[in-house]
Amino acid sequence: MADDAASSSTCTGNLVDNSINQDELIMKQQREIEKEISESIPLVGEIEPLSSLEKEYNEDPIYLLKVKDLSAKYKHIRRTRPDGNCFFRAFSYAYLEHLLTDRQEYEKFYEIAKNSKDILVALGFPQFTVEDFYETFMEVVLRVGDKAGDSSVSLDGIRNELHDKFNKQGYSDYIVVYLRLITSGQLQTQHDFYQNFIEGMRTVTDFCRQEVEPMYKESDHIHIIALSNALNVCVRVKYMDRGEGSQVIAHDFPEGSKPLVHLLYRPGHYDILYA
Amino acid sequence: MSEPQSSLLLKKQLAELNKNPVEGFSAGLIDDNDIYRWEVLIIGPPDTLYEGGFFKAHLYFPKEYPLRPPRMKFVTEIWHPNIEKNGDVCISILHEPGDDKWGYEKASERWLPVHTVETILISVISMLADPNDESPANVDAAKEWRERYSDFKKKVARCVRKKRMARVIFGV
Repeated sequence: MADDAASSSTCTGNLVDNSINQDELIMKQQREIEKEISESIPLVGEIEPLSSLEKEYNEDPIYLLKVKDLSAKYKHIRRTRPDGNCFFRAFSYAYLEHLLTDRQEYEKFYEIAKNSKDILVALGFPQFTVEDFYETFMEVVLRVGDKAGDSSVSLDGIRNELHDKFNKQGYSDYIVVYLRLITSGQLQTQHDFYQNFIEGMRTVTDFCRQEVEPMYKESDHIHIIALSNALNVCVRVKYMDRGEGSQVIAHDFPEGSKPLVHLLYRPGHYDILYA
Repeated sequence: MSEPQSSLLLKKQLAELNKNPVEGFSAGLIDDNDIYRWEVLIIGPPDTLYEGGFFKAHLYFPKEYPLRPPRMKFVTEIWHPNIEKNGDVCISILHEPGDDKWGYEKASERWLPVHTVETILISVISMLADPNDESPANVDAAKEWRERYSDFKKKVARCVRKKRMARVIFGV
């Protein structure tokens, strides 16, 4: 059955009639886990001192050494919900937050964001839905633009508003969807280049449909490279895992420019870091 | 934004489909007060066994639409390898990635937030024209389609005829 199923596009309904469908049980359990996570962890959390990581790894010497290394450069962390969208959510939150204090960067980003919809429609994405995601995305971008770089007013109000919007499923997930589309658009526009990064027999378009555009699909290097190229923003990712040594390795995407967004990666998950 | 995104998006789609109807189907609500439950009428695609038939189906959208897909169920009796006998439509784009109950993970297209009622129905209409018998929802129909095609044709023709007569007589 597995061989058959690989190339099919419909479902095997009553082949396994009467017997309890194991996969269905696994899925049910998965949904329950997801529900528990969504009830206990906010989409984007409050800013916390980095020492909260130490508590997490109290009895783990390898990680404690690495947290120590990390704390030489970073003082705070903001956690995101581990729902497979964390890279996109962390990235957009951190970047928009940065834009509040950087008018020049905002102007640059605004032009790219404004033109992004036409690129997607030209690639064949359905205009109707793309427009819907785009409008919500731009609504948030423009709110940031209202205050970006304005040193005469306090930014507390807009910071709270941003935090609030990122914790409202409607806005927050729409932003994630739209960034996934921008990422997919970048991969497809430059498919000759990105094809080299894709394992197996998949085309770039297949990869986008299966790994980029669907919600809750985790991000890999290729997603980060594509998004940072599409928006022309440098992202620094600090990789903290159980590997040897006491240092936390950093990777800049793309290399050589000044990172505006700093993320902490622990296997399977991204959070935001602050100097 | 007190009204959920899903409701706004569905309203917009309904208005758009009413203004600019798409060939091959028409769409409305089951109950005018419930934007999450749609009724569609699919015209049997030309040059297929289903030509001449009119098939009514319901779409049930979750509150998380468009992040999660709707379910679709034919209300009109229809004999097809990928539609369960109770009318449930089994097509990969109505399943989320990772939703592997049906074991068709890799090659086929899954639910994406960019899908609309229109793109869903285009897929369903193409499924009517071109059944996939490798992972059937209606095993009997699939077997018949493969092994006794003339019987399969007769059964489909019966559904089509029944529906056409009802339309003439009762105007449904």
